Amino acid sequence: MNDERKLSRSTRFPRWLVSGPPLLFLLLLVAIPGVIMVFASFRYPGEFGGLAPLAASDPQTLHGFTTETYRFFFSDFIYVEVFIKSFVMALATTLICLVMAYPLALLIARSPKRSRNLMMLLVILPFTSNFLIGIYAWMIILGPQAALNQLINILLGIFGAAPVQLLFSPFAVMITMVYVYLPFMVLPLYTNLEKHDPALLDAAQDLGANAWQRFWRVTFPLSQPGIFAGSALVFIPAIGMFAVPELLGGIGDIMIGNLIKDQFLGTRDWPFGSTLAILLTLAVLLVVWLVAKLSGRGGRYA
Amino acid sequence: MFSRKDNIHEKHEISVADPYMNYRLPFRAFRVFRGLMFFAFLVQLNCAHAEDVLHLYNWNNYISDTTIARFEKQCACRVVQDYYSDNEEMLAKLAAGATGYDLIVPTGNAVEALIRQRALRPLDKSLLPNLNNIDQAYLNTVFDPGNRYSVPYAYTLTLIGYNSEKMRELQLPVDSWAVIFEPRYLEKLKGHVTVLDSQRELLAAALKYLGYFANDTDETHWKKARDLIIRAKPYWAAFNASSYIKELTVGNIWLVHGYSNDIFQADLDAQNAQRGFRILAGIPKEGAVLALDSMVLHKSGPRPDLAHRFIDFMLDGHNSSELTNLIGSGNPNLAARRYIQPEIAQSPAVFPDKTQQENLEMLRDLDRHQRRVLSRIWTEIKLR
Repeated sequence: MNDERKLSRSTRFPRWLVSGPPLLFLLLLVAIPGVIMVFASFRYPGEFGGLAPLAASDPQTLHGFTTETYRFFFSDFIYVEVFIKSFVMALATTLICLVMAYPLALLIARSPKRSRNLMMLLVILPFTSNFLIGIYAWMIILGPQAALNQLINILLGIFGAAPVQLLFSPFAVMITMVYVYLPFMVLPLYTNLEKHDPALLDAAQDLGANAWQRFWRVTFPLSQPGIFAGSALVFIPAIGMFAVPELLGGIGDIMIGNLIKDQFLGTRDWPFGSTLAILLTLAVLLVVWLVAKLSGRGGRYA
Repeated sequence: MFSRKDNIHEKHEISVADPYMNYRLPFRAFRVFRGLMFFAFLVQLNCAHAEDVLHLYNWNNYISDTTIARFEKQCACRVVQDYYSDNEEMLAKLAAGATGYDLIVPTGNAVEALIRQRALRPLDKSLLPNLNNIDQAYLNTVFDPGNRYSVPYAYTLTLIGYNSEKMRELQLPVDSWAVIFEPRYLEKLKGHVTVLDSQRELLAAALKYLGYFANDTDETHWKKARDLIIRAKPYWAAFNASSYIKELTVGNIWLVHGYSNDIFQADLDAQNAQRGFRILAGIPKEGAVLALDSMVLHKSGPRPDLAHRFIDFMLDGHNSSELTNLIGSGNPNLAARRYIQPEIAQSPAVFPDKTQQENLEMLRDLDRHQRRVLSRIWTEIKLR
């Protein structure tokens, strides 16, 4: 008893030492800016951008706290529409990534040990160059003068359909988002699938399960934590994306990220930008919470 | 010519003996580069004794290197440049506490903002005899009445840029915003038009086409402009901020609402690539937006004396002309005209004539309420 307490005291200090830097990091760069943002969202915008003063000697000038940005947000449906649109885009990105990444991760996890590392290296290879370079590459690949677009239009011409333009379209946004986020789906899936005990599958086979049943009733339920981790890693950054719709999007491709960026640069409306960012965070947390609840219920197979 | 031939020969010879030649070449280049860097370092050390340094905070690619070199020689000083790519970025950096800039080159509305923030130093015009070179039309603006703080440097127009061959083939007008906004013209251009991804610029073009002022802040007029934009939108390929230069050059895009400097750049690129078409600029008869960039002295600058010398130097016709010859910017300097390449000088984007000049408007800053209303309209435009 006494020994135990001594031990816990002697481990407490190193534990603090180890968790201190990340804690400090989170406090300085996540918690404090978050609080500042919440405060900013309840202020008036400044005349040249920034925020209006908290106190002013002249009562004519705007100052102090207000909920006007929240009232403005809910005064009509248009901003909610942008939210819904972003959700749909992010959800589609996540699903496409999942469908593409699952077989790949499974393939890598079932490969001989020696080749796995090389294959994983290939998956994370896109990280070695800035993702903007990848985006510009897609602009070239999807351009109207490029072979891909011309081939598609020739095929469409044979069937009598009108030619299409790939670049500057929702399709271009979608394909590039999938390109950017695919590795984030593969990595957690692979980490999960790699740990599965092959004995379980052998047992299932001995009990008369066919290949499909073995996958659906053993591998898939066991891989659910990997699926949720990957989906979160794709969905959460995808919903805030602004670079891809800005560079490859057409006339209607606006996402919540573009709207927030606009508030801070062009419109110089920091309070409303903060409000949008906070509502986005809340909405994402809500989704993650819902998914976590659902996954808790669906875990009965595993 | 000879040396290049020699090089090829040498490379070929070595590559027979040494298959890794290709890997070595960069290292040799690196060694040369290192040598140059060391030399540059020595030069810098040498200059440091002079201690005369002018800090210039300027747009990217907004002054010719030859001009800088000439000034450095003339004043026996060094010019250190920092760059920005839009006014908001520059204002934000100054607001965050950046100091030590003698000279800045902001656009009109940013000049106004800086004056109202009391961030600028008044000019001493007795040190600027060349100020007489500036066209009266660009002096005494609403941003800085009487030019107490600012001296015009160069300007950009927001215009129609077009592919000469395509527009002739389709027989479309290039002297009116109608071609950007009217479906009867746009039908022939569907998917080959881009407009600027800028709330103010696009709204200004629409307002001008509807016969209002670009600075009109009446919400009912804004809504009419919004409806005009939404009606034309299905025919446009994209809202675009920068890649339209490339798209014009390769021939994907035939018509743009864009900046005169960018259209000039696209034309240069198209000519260099021998595309067989030109990219030309047209001033709409309804009028357009003029963005006048001016030189101002920041209060934090330690060398107002050098800054005044630099301003007067840039007001000299020859020095001023070099920027226009480089990037095709509009030039407010009357003495510069005879040094400008004749073909550039002919372009209405560089020297609009008197009637065109009267229809040009400089955008003023919106207040916070107007900015928010416009942002909401913009969201609607994007979403519909």
